[in-house]
Amino acid sequence: MPKCIIDGREAEFTPGQNLVEVAKKVGIQIPFFCYHPALTVVAQCRMCVVEIEKMPKLQTACSTPAAEGMVVKTRSEKVIQAQKATMEFLLINHPLDCPVCDKSGECDLQDFSFKYGDAYSRYTEEKRTYVDLDMGPVIKKNMNRCIHCTRCIRFGTEVAGIHEMVAVQRGNNTEITTIDGRPLETDYAGNYADLCPTGSLLLKDFRFKKRVWFLKRTSTVCEGCARGCNMTIHQDNNVIYRCTARENLEINKYWLCDEGRFNFHYVNAEDRVVEPRSGASAAEWADAIAVAKSAVSGKKLAVLVGSDLTQEEGKLLLEFLPKNFSGAPVFHFGTPGIRSSQEDAAADRILKRKSKTANLHGLEKLGFKGFDSLPAGTSAVLVIRGGRATLPELKGVTTVGLGVFRDSEAQGFAAVLPGASFAEKDGTIVNFEGREQHLRRAINPPGQSKQLPEILMMWANSKGGQNA
Amino acid sequence: MLVKAKKSFLQRFYLVEVIKGLGITMRNMLFAPKVTIQYPEERRKYSERFRGMHYVKATNGVENCTACMLCPTVCPAECIHIVAGERPDKEKYPVQFEIDVLRCCFCGMCEEACPKDAIKLSTIYEMSQVTRQVYDKDYLAEQRGNK
Repeated sequence: MPKCIIDGREAEFTPGQNLVEVAKKVGIQIPFFCYHPALTVVAQCRMCVVEIEKMPKLQTACSTPAAEGMVVKTRSEKVIQAQKATMEFLLINHPLDCPVCDKSGECDLQDFSFKYGDAYSRYTEEKRTYVDLDMGPVIKKNMNRCIHCTRCIRFGTEVAGIHEMVAVQRGNNTEITTIDGRPLETDYAGNYADLCPTGSLLLKDFRFKKRVWFLKRTSTVCEGCARGCNMTIHQDNNVIYRCTARENLEINKYWLCDEGRFNFHYVNAEDRVVEPRSGASAAEWADAIAVAKSAVSGKKLAVLVGSDLTQEEGKLLLEFLPKNFSGAPVFHFGTPGIRSSQEDAAADRILKRKSKTANLHGLEKLGFKGFDSLPAGTSAVLVIRGGRATLPELKGVTTVGLGVFRDSEAQGFAAVLPGASFAEKDGTIVNFEGREQHLRRAINPPGQSKQLPEILMMWANSKGGQNA
Repeated sequence: MLVKAKKSFLQRFYLVEVIKGLGITMRNMLFAPKVTIQYPEERRKYSERFRGMHYVKATNGVENCTACMLCPTVCPAECIHIVAGERPDKEKYPVQFEIDVLRCCFCGMCEEACPKDAIKLSTIYEMSQVTRQVYDKDYLAEQRGNK
């Protein structure tokens, strides 16, 4: 491998790699705003300048590929001075309203200003201000904070495949906006907030909810579709506040779709059933299980297993169901119209899959069959699901729900035994490529809800009712 | 070995010693400057930097606070509870601003952390209440302080 020297450290690189990446590999941070590993290089923020021996002027590290024998200095006097000047220029029009801004705490501009900038501003003139137009339901724009890095514009054209963000006017008057001020159309708008190095583009959903330094992060996997994008759950005090994309170059790169990003809302929803129920009224666990058992005993039972359950839960059910409900047919369900992994396909050209549940492919591997319609004569149904799978229409049968249900969904159920959602359990899910990934527990199950193994144990040990 | 101290007659008589002691008492009682004051008629002058009852400072009738959450972040007693919101005349303001005074240790770090000069500890030190008080936003918005 060719080698170059950065700040006296020998760094190996593959030809074509730029200096930011090479420096990162040997543990040297070069500050940047406009550069993003997944987007084209524009080198317009000028923050990543470095001094290279035998070159007369400073070079931008993001647009300079490393070369054999190159000697790079990232902290020389000249570089420090240039970065300080750049920082001063970037902050000329920045409102410095960090106490109001939701980005503060994870803001590149804030961090680099602290690290590379000056504590004092010499600017006394009036700052430019804009009137912000609404950008649709996902993103809240604040143009005053913008530093014109154009990451959002490049993301739109290069990743989301829609050229909706543009820069109008020039120089100091540049404004980043949508064409004709239209609301954002892409299904990946949440990434604009992730990308933005300042607080110009923020999630409306997360606005003023929590300061970011209070949030605890758990690395987990999205359960929104069969792709299994990597994401991070941010929670505080057992409440999930947001989800952000986590880098995984083989699956989702740096992105997350809005559906997956905002899927977590049902976990802390007001109308989620978190107490065991018999009929429509809350009950003790033992009573609810007794009611559930007697509701399904002596009837022709079918078991529906949501394809949002993990492999571990699926395996457990494969052992539990034949012992307790011998002869009852077992199906998996998840997305209307998607009955097997053959019917699952890419829903768009970026990330989304047609199967809106995470573990369709895994459960099929375990041997569950797809649900089409209930076998003739079925009079009772046991529905087991994690919260994401869409319930099929069940009419004229006694239904027992086990897992995560909303109040409206659980209407008419003979009993509900509240379970854990994807953020409350550990487990494995298999994505459409057969890749096994781990869901990690971020919060505790709310109310009296319990993990599936616990519920099954109570079911098996309960004396109420009779096994079918 | 036990050695008995030899005392003179006057010492053994005690009366002189008692009178001497009484003399000190009388001197202190009648002539020494007094330390106690007649509270509540009389008040002691405290330092301007005394850390007493909290209030949220307002400018032109609008609270300075912008709900940046730096005071709950720095608070070692975790007694400040703020919920942020938006209203037409102010981008971010505290919808709820509560201080659980029973937990507060009056360290004054909230005052120090505040970038907006909003939360203040006044010199008011008479805070006894009949009920277990949580200072809510309306209570704190009253401009009691002198800072």
